[in-house]
Amino acid sequence: MARVADPMSAPFADLTVPSLIEDLSEQGYIADRGLATTLLLALKLGKPLLLEGEVGVGKTELARTLAEMLGRDLIRLQCYEGIDTHHALYEWDYARQMLHVRALSQAELVSNDDDLFSDRFLVERPLLQAVRSGDQCVLLIDEIDRADDEFEAFLLELLAEFQVTIPEMGTVKAPSRPIVILTSNRTRELHDALKRRCLYTWIGFPAPEREVEIVRSRLPQVSVALADQVVAAVNRLRDMELEKMPGVAETIDWTTSLDALGAQALTEEVALDTLGAVIKDRDDLEYTTKSIQDVVS
Amino acid sequence: MSSADEVDALFVGFGDALRQAGLPVGTDDVLTFCSGMTHLKVSDLLDVYWAGRACFVRRREHFPIYKSVFREYFLGEDLTSDAQVKKMMRASSNAGAALEIPNTEEGLPGEINPDEVKLGYVASVNEVYRHKEFADCSDAELRQVRRLISRMRVTPPKRRTHRMTRTRRRSQLDMRRMVRDSMRNLGEPRDLRYRTRKEKLRPLILILDVSGSMADYSRNLLQFAYSARRANAKVDVYCFGTRLTRITRQLDRRSADDAMKTAGEAVFDWDGGTRIGDSLREFTRTARRSRLGRGGIVVVCSDGLDRGEPQALVEAMESLSRIAHRVIWVNPHRGDVEVYVPASLGMIVADPYIDEVHSGHNLASLEKLANRLAKVG
Repeated sequence: MARVADPMSAPFADLTVPSLIEDLSEQGYIADRGLATTLLLALKLGKPLLLEGEVGVGKTELARTLAEMLGRDLIRLQCYEGIDTHHALYEWDYARQMLHVRALSQAELVSNDDDLFSDRFLVERPLLQAVRSGDQCVLLIDEIDRADDEFEAFLLELLAEFQVTIPEMGTVKAPSRPIVILTSNRTRELHDALKRRCLYTWIGFPAPEREVEIVRSRLPQVSVALADQVVAAVNRLRDMELEKMPGVAETIDWTTSLDALGAQALTEEVALDTLGAVIKDRDDLEYTTKSIQDVVS
Repeated sequence: MSSADEVDALFVGFGDALRQAGLPVGTDDVLTFCSGMTHLKVSDLLDVYWAGRACFVRRREHFPIYKSVFREYFLGEDLTSDAQVKKMMRASSNAGAALEIPNTEEGLPGEINPDEVKLGYVASVNEVYRHKEFADCSDAELRQVRRLISRMRVTPPKRRTHRMTRTRRRSQLDMRRMVRDSMRNLGEPRDLRYRTRKEKLRPLILILDVSGSMADYSRNLLQFAYSARRANAKVDVYCFGTRLTRITRQLDRRSADDAMKTAGEAVFDWDGGTRIGDSLREFTRTARRSRLGRGGIVVVCSDGLDRGEPQALVEAMESLSRIAHRVIWVNPHRGDVEVYVPASLGMIVADPYIDEVHSGHNLASLEKLANRLAKVG
């Protein structure tokens, strides 16, 4: 079998799994080996990376960190139900076009289509932006599970070819492959065709030691003892079968709140005062308030 | 043979082993994996493990399968005996004896006062049937009821697509068309043009319980399914007792009686036991593979008297609620009570994943369901 070296992956030639983990941790993102290997392959093979996982485990954060690390722009497309090409790809600036045509007609000049449908009147949306800037950007397609099926199908072409056809102008092709990261909270099943084009990984809740590490890298001023306590408490919360499980983002929020109050240790009293940072559902809040002893102990 | 070829052969073999284990592994995945490994250390088993997982697995549920195949293939661990046991366990649970459930159904009293009928307060014969519980109907009455059901109009709700279409109503301006039109008038915009989102019918999926405990109702619900199918092409109908049968095709008959007959023949476990979890699981498994049911309205008609594992039902419902836009449960035992409290174990377990519960125990409630279906948001 021929081993095809993708010329576009050349910039990452000397990247290895350990060096990637290190680079990420310098930016304050603690990745485990599985995630780092998957990310490395995505970078080297120029494939989109699909991240699924619980809410608040750092899916979006990874794209942000990656952009920072590589010194690229982060182009973010937030998906929602009913998102369409005009919001995602491009739109003509109709008002300006109209003014232009009026101006031409008043001066009795001849208009031609090429002029009217040119870059001057094109409003770039995230996907077109990403295609045009190629490897100068990291494209984050956030919460793809919120968009509807048609949009998913539309993405297929884009992700495979990195080119976009604008009927009035022709085809725009990416000069080089951008890094694409898709995230999904798994509120619905994505179509296999889309998944097939991506490398896939699931980000679960990190192991307690790793979570302490994450908290400490974000909030270096917090003592190990407090971070340990908070992480242990959050892990107990996760075992409680709440409506909404607290993610790593909540752990960090909670620690930040405790730190802001100058708490040195997680006591029942402080925990009750700051519970809102980690529990964001009314029923859950009631339940945990009652059993706060079990959480803190 | 060079060592690179040997390594490739090893990796291709691994892809094959995964395929054998039931993972959907394509040739392109193997190619990705092989070219991915050129960037990693082939000698490092951890690299091989994680790279393989990134390239071959696209579902979280498949991670354990991947892990065991990996261990078997690369580490030579023999896991077949364990897998065998699991398979046998599954087989035995499938073949488990279906218990007959005694009919504990009682008619809800006092809905229709016979005196009122005699005095002519009730408009027609149909009105009587409307509130009479199916279980209490005689054969002749049931025939009449079914005729009435077959005349019902069942239309699933619509959803807005992201395509736009022209409209005369004042809504969003269609600037694209206006600019194009204005070109003809030297840039003078003349008429205002509007556009709006196109609407599409959501698919409707009916999953009917035809087991012993539902026997009194399932035939009527089948009739309901038939009306739904007649009214709209995007309706899919399934029946289940101990296993799932698709009867959409069988319902495509001109006459209702014909359709009922062929559908009845296709389902072989009429009046048997119930395995709701396993049956729904089977549905979600096929639904996931195809586009079936995505964003649709799934109506499950069952009393929730499940003879299978509650855990299986929970998993199936969770997966179902993710595929479907709305999950509606029709439970004849619900009756006409205002506040519904799930009673059977199956219903309690499934409750968190259900958006609405309807009763469907008489004609009036089926009409209500048909009306409601068009409006679920």
